[in-house]
Amino acid sequence: MLAGCASLSPDGGTADVQALVDGNPLMAGAAAQRKPDDASQQSVDALLAQPLDAEAAVRIALVNSPRVQDAFATLQLSDADRVQAASLPNPVLSFSRLAQGSEREFERMLTFNVVGLLTLPWQARWAGQRHEAAKLQAAQSVLLLAADTRRAWVRAVAAQQSVSYLRDAKEATEAGAELAHRMAKVGNWSALQRTREQLLLADASAQLARAEQAAVASREQLTRLLGLSGTRTAYTLPDRLPPLPKAAPELGDVQALALRDRLDVRSAQAQNTAVAGSLGLTHATRVINAMELGVVRNTTFENDADRSKSTTRGFELELPIPIFDWGQARSGRAEAQYLQSAARVRDVGVLAASEAREAWQGWNTAYALARRYRDEVLPLRKQVNEEMVLRYNGMLASVWELLGETRASMLAVNAGMEAQRDFWLADTDLQLVLTGSSPGGMTAAQTASAGDAPATGGH
Amino acid sequence: MNRRNFFAGAATAVAATTVSRVSMAALPEPVTQASTATAPPLVPPNGRPYNPVVTLNGWTLPWRMNAGVKEFHLVAEPVVREMAPGFKVNMWGYNGQSPGPTIEVVEGDRVRIFVTNKLPEHTTVHWHGQRLPNGMDGVGGITQPHIPPGKTFVYEFTARRPGTFMYHPHADEMVQMAMGMMGFWVTHPKAEHPLIEKVDRDFCFLLGSFDVEPGSATPKVNTMTDFNIWSFNSRVFPAIDTLNVRKGDRVRIRVGNLTMTNHPIHIHGHEFEVTGTDGGPVPRTARWPEVSVDVAVGQMRQMEFIADEEGDWSLHCHKAHHTMGPMGHDVPTMIGVDHKGVAEKIKKLVPDYMVMGDKGMADMGEMEMPIPDNTLPMMTGTGPFGSAEMGGMFTLLKVRRDQKPGDYRDPGWFKHPAGTVAREVSATGAPAAPRKTGTTPASPDSGSATVRKPSGHGAHNH
Repeated sequence: MLAGCASLSPDGGTADVQALVDGNPLMAGAAAQRKPDDASQQSVDALLAQPLDAEAAVRIALVNSPRVQDAFATLQLSDADRVQAASLPNPVLSFSRLAQGSEREFERMLTFNVVGLLTLPWQARWAGQRHEAAKLQAAQSVLLLAADTRRAWVRAVAAQQSVSYLRDAKEATEAGAELAHRMAKVGNWSALQRTREQLLLADASAQLARAEQAAVASREQLTRLLGLSGTRTAYTLPDRLPPLPKAAPELGDVQALALRDRLDVRSAQAQNTAVAGSLGLTHATRVINAMELGVVRNTTFENDADRSKSTTRGFELELPIPIFDWGQARSGRAEAQYLQSAARVRDVGVLAASEAREAWQGWNTAYALARRYRDEVLPLRKQVNEEMVLRYNGMLASVWELLGETRASMLAVNAGMEAQRDFWLADTDLQLVLTGSSPGGMTAAQTASAGDAPATGGH
Repeated sequence: MNRRNFFAGAATAVAATTVSRVSMAALPEPVTQASTATAPPLVPPNGRPYNPVVTLNGWTLPWRMNAGVKEFHLVAEPVVREMAPGFKVNMWGYNGQSPGPTIEVVEGDRVRIFVTNKLPEHTTVHWHGQRLPNGMDGVGGITQPHIPPGKTFVYEFTARRPGTFMYHPHADEMVQMAMGMMGFWVTHPKAEHPLIEKVDRDFCFLLGSFDVEPGSATPKVNTMTDFNIWSFNSRVFPAIDTLNVRKGDRVRIRVGNLTMTNHPIHIHGHEFEVTGTDGGPVPRTARWPEVSVDVAVGQMRQMEFIADEEGDWSLHCHKAHHTMGPMGHDVPTMIGVDHKGVAEKIKKLVPDYMVMGDKGMADMGEMEMPIPDNTLPMMTGTGPFGSAEMGGMFTLLKVRRDQKPGDYRDPGWFKHPAGTVAREVSATGAPAAPRKTGTTPASPDSGSATVRKPSGHGAHNH
């Protein structure tokens, strides 16, 4: 029973965490790593050598991101606490030497905290429960990192794509402005007409500049999550986002799914169990929270001629007398903590169910929107463009109308791409909401920082 | 133009009518026309004889004699008029076509016209220019109740005055005329008339304007001035038949204007006299020679001349935009604008883009580029020497020595006698022109006038 059974886990809990996130679609088979090593760095380099897809980005983040290392360190702290709690309290040896005239007295006493000993199994179980909760939280951190990485990747690719469309749109106005300038130069247009076209160009340039800045920002966001620096930041991204899935997945009852699978729900429950355990302990030690039992052996040396000495043996019991502190405060605190933790379980449950509904609806809306762009808006837009070319051919429309249509077309393609981006963001949110955690970061029960997680879009 | 089956095209068909057969039983069979070819003149089978007219890309309505009264049956109905091959327009017309058939009668004829309304709204027919009882004047609400859809009304009067007239609705007039409801009426003189010559060829056509959005098929009825389709008898060049005559023929051309603007009708190679209006024959003392006559809104002009010069002579409205097909009236002038560098940029964004208009608009006549469906190019038509760069109110008067009397067939392109065609002169063969020296063109500057010389760069090689 006293088995000083607890020992530190050799991998810092990596395997336990991995078991919790295995098979999660956000992970796409990637494994989190507690500490970067040569092998993982080589694999990072290999992945960075090609245009980075979403899965590769997740893979890199999970072995390279400071955030995953932070999460594992936090888990290790909890592991240490667990081992500490399950260790037998050390006996205390006290020794004193007293002198009175020539008389010397040596007092040796071995004391042992009896309450600590008696409550050890309780403490160990409680710490174990806390550690289970910590593992669930670490697993959430891993999933959040995977989700954040996916979102950052989606944003970075989309922003880069957006730049190319807006560049085309700007080129259309540039051509219009240049022609307008030449029109004015040869006397076919007034300053008013020319200036109007130049205004369009100024507007398009501003739009492009904003898009370019957004592309840099979203790429840097991804770079941070990947934990990359130096020459490694020169990675390339694919030209476009993945195509939309063919159909919406059959998910059944998304609320039930979230309440069953979400790690933050499970974590809150585990924490609640731990708090309940601590409540029992507190109750048990409410009045007497310390009792020391000691064995005493006193030897007195008279230091007289016959060098006589005498030895006394006995025991010592040290017990606080509950006159002032009857433990109400500690007991009340423990109860409050329990109530708090129970409230948090409920809170997380409500949050999970609501977020599941919202994310599912968000997924469907984003999917329908992106499809509408792909299947209706863009083909119609293309048709309008073709018709405008015919009108231009027939001298029914001017080159400016043609260029204006082209520009509008680029903006529509850009809007379509944004719809596609929002779909993939919604998709990540849905995966996270159903199996991992709140997409807004860890729920209230979690203390670990969500790091530089971006404000979630898509809903 | 060569596909005209002149005589074969005159085939007529009995209309399938939605109006009750019983109610129609007493009426003359409505005759309908499916072809847009110029029908041969309808030689009167009965009644008083007369010298019939030829309606350009149209036909004359047959009649029946009923106790000495000429009975016609007009059916007002939606039609699809082919204004040019491949360009079909949803119109309202009469008896299968717009304009409706020409009605030909003789001075003094008692005429009874049944009008069946197969339009979705009420209509009337106004007999423009005729002397008739007030109640037969066809002004809806004023002189008669409107003819409701599905109903047949009858008009009856005597054609008192010889001359050229028109018929058109006087009910929801703006819409019904914008949709193409109009037709010709010719009253031939009963006997020799001191002011009306006998002619060898007698042509007639109405001027019509429509606003058909390129790529669509129904005219915009609310357009007031900015029309894009200018037609003779709802046809546009090069789909308007030519006026084919024999050299030495006395030719009469009757033109009526039912558009919302005037049209100076101009004939090349001959001078003519205006011998009549819708008011009647012009006194000889009031005639003077012309090569153009302005036909004002709602007017009729009768031009006569001897076709004594052989050749293919243009006959057209002299308003330049009226000899063009649809064009963008807001398209800016591109002449002299250098496209270097910009063209490539645009082509990158719009792969089918080609520079046009930087040297003028003749590109349009030369290049065959895809344009919207059911639309004709702005200028088109090809002659033996290349693109005619014309459209709209344009056709040809073809004068040939060997055109047989009564033969209205297109004789083909004129074969010019040797040495009678304008030709290029070699630089060395030309006499030296007097030259002015010391002038320099204005410096090119923003908004200032600039002499534009051909830049030499081929626009289509951009």
